[in-house]
Amino acid sequence: MFEALQSWLEGVRWLGDTRVAEFVNDSFWAWPVLEDVHFLGLSLLVGAIGLLDLRMLGLAKAIPAAALHRFVPVGIAGFLLCLVTGALFFTSKPALYIHNPAFYLKMLFIVLAGLNVMVFYLVAFRDVERMGPGDSAPVAAKAIGAISLILWVGVICFGRLLPFI
Amino acid sequence: MTSYLAWIEQTALSVWIRESPSYLAFPAVLILHTVGMAFLVGTAVAVNLRVLGLARNIPISAIARFFPAMWVGFWLNVLSGVALVIATPAKALTNWVFYVKLGLILLALLNGRVLQNQVFNDPAVDEKPVSTKGKVLAATSILLWVGAMITGRLLAYTYVRILSGD
Repeated sequence: MFEALQSWLEGVRWLGDTRVAEFVNDSFWAWPVLEDVHFLGLSLLVGAIGLLDLRMLGLAKAIPAAALHRFVPVGIAGFLLCLVTGALFFTSKPALYIHNPAFYLKMLFIVLAGLNVMVFYLVAFRDVERMGPGDSAPVAAKAIGAISLILWVGVICFGRLLPFI
Repeated sequence: MTSYLAWIEQTALSVWIRESPSYLAFPAVLILHTVGMAFLVGTAVAVNLRVLGLARNIPISAIARFFPAMWVGFWLNVLSGVALVIATPAKALTNWVFYVKLGLILLALLNGRVLQNQVFNDPAVDEKPVSTKGKVLAATSILLWVGAMITGRLLAYTYVRILSGD
């Protein structure tokens, strides 16, 4: 499975020869700026989605859960910032990622986090919408919230490990 | 100063964090620092966005209940940050950007204290719109914490030495 993914991504190694890649690699400040935007994106994502998850797990019970949905666009914006900057990282230095197991694990955890969101909307959304101040989340929502936190922390872990592997 | 830095570098703890090939050493410290940052900056931005007017159906007194998440992130970063400085004291302490980062953190904490008094400690906070002063403090808070995050990342690009003898 891992070999198949690697050979598939080998097919896009040419991205490293594009003008975007050249610009990023030649500029001293491009990579640090991209990293800062990537970090800002991940903080917005964790801030918005993480707080929702923590509410599921019982923190800030005074807040009716549905009200926290206003933060989801902030989380999505953060995710998009990470997606764009991540794509630019990959484009500029494909060799850092194509054979790096941490990269594949990071992508896997992001996909799992996305599936977890889908499960939330299919299984727990309606009950969560009805949660008033002081209400506990249904067990399914608590599990989804816990899994979400674990997955996103995992994404951060694998992301941070990328240079070390 | 160099001999003091060299002394730290030679301690068993410094050597272990810096040179151990284990993922539980330097990589783990960095991971903890990044996770802490995510919760610190993420929570601070979310709470301050509420003060600025996002999700107005959440009472201010209620959004304040998320502060523990921010403080867990903060203390995680104090501990992991100290570990990073112990690992490579010269790298941090001879880099002027590091002092800018510490200054921004201090300002963020002081600004947070004023914001706490102006907004969150007001017993009537849920009964009226947030004052302009409160909003300015919230916006400043976001800028200061994001500034601390940015200067932190820039440390990897601005250091002049890794070890005191370099």
